[in-house]
Amino acid sequence: MIEKKDSLAIGEYIKNFARKHSLFVLAYGTGCGAIEIPPTMTSRYDAERFGIRGAATPRQADVLLITGYLATKTLKRVIRVYEQMQDPKYVIGFGSCTINGGMYWDSYNTINSLDKYIPVDVFINGCMPRPEAVISGFVKLQEYIQEGKADGWRKYQNNIEEYRENQKRIIKNWRMPDYNL
Amino acid sequence: MSEQIKEKETLEALTKTFEKVNGIVQRDKRVIVETDAEIIPGVLLYAKERLKFTHFSHMSCVDWIENNQFELVYILWSPEDKIQLIIKCVINREKPIIQNIDNIWRQANTYEREIREMFGVEFEGLIGAKEFILEDWDDIPPMRKDFDTKEYSSKHFFDRPGREDAKDVRTVITERSGEEIPDFAKKYSRD
Repeated sequence: MIEKKDSLAIGEYIKNFARKHSLFVLAYGTGCGAIEIPPTMTSRYDAERFGIRGAATPRQADVLLITGYLATKTLKRVIRVYEQMQDPKYVIGFGSCTINGGMYWDSYNTINSLDKYIPVDVFINGCMPRPEAVISGFVKLQEYIQEGKADGWRKYQNNIEEYRENQKRIIKNWRMPDYNL
Repeated sequence: MSEQIKEKETLEALTKTFEKVNGIVQRDKRVIVETDAEIIPGVLLYAKERLKFTHFSHMSCVDWIENNQFELVYILWSPEDKIQLIIKCVINREKPIIQNIDNIWRQANTYEREIREMFGVEFEGLIGAKEFILEDWDDIPPMRKDFDTKEYSSKHFFDRPGREDAKDVRTVITERSGEEIPDFAKKYSRD
């Protein structure tokens, strides 16, 4: 809560409160983990009671879920999707594959550490995480948003060269529109 | 077990028509033949037109690095006789070139493009012989046996270091309960 009578802090508190209760998740799945999203969203686990719901396009979405392994080909699309999203935006790495490669750790076409390419706010471990774990990850993200800790998008803006360098190691033939002008 | 009449007839027809074809009836509804790479389109066309193997199920490639050979496997299915015909041929691994068969079955084109990309086998006159599944690939074809996928992964991707206090979970359990890991299970231990 707010200790000082600071109008900026009060404004930030209200903004964060609004943001954390309306997390629009982009309906985009990269790996096998996307199969856990329908039960999370539908009546049994009902993620909408936390304000989590789907969004059709990247420009309307707040949260990007990387559900499972990420092929080098998919990484290109993920970067484009992430850069089209509007600030503030959050990324959740979903499953062991995004953390250290999981069972695809020695594969030639799946990346191993997601946070080297795009900033990740919350990791959910498990292979696959159950809907309870997914909701727990979202609640953690809400906490971070309220505290102002979920600032991966700002980190991305500040360290764009570093991220670009890592991305270009994978995408050798770089022909992408620049969304960061 | 049936008499395998249709299977034997198929094998006989193939071996009598082509000199360089030999094979066996492996079991009910499955015939395996081996042949030379030069006459592959002829054998396939004969099987399709005369023996009614109209359905092209699959086409695959095996890397026999010990023999310096690639083995191409064509799997056909006869909807009339309900027999699977497997045709195999070997080509040289140093210069892997084989004739294109996508004028016999159009769908073979997709398999050929995949094999071309994954094994580096060239098909003469293949339509669409360009980048197919892999993007920006600049190493040797990844399905070859001499391609080290672990080395490639550690060279191109970031490995995350493990936890230093990470222990084999069975060691922790046996220590806690004062037992020992049995001998037959020790080969699965981490250290």
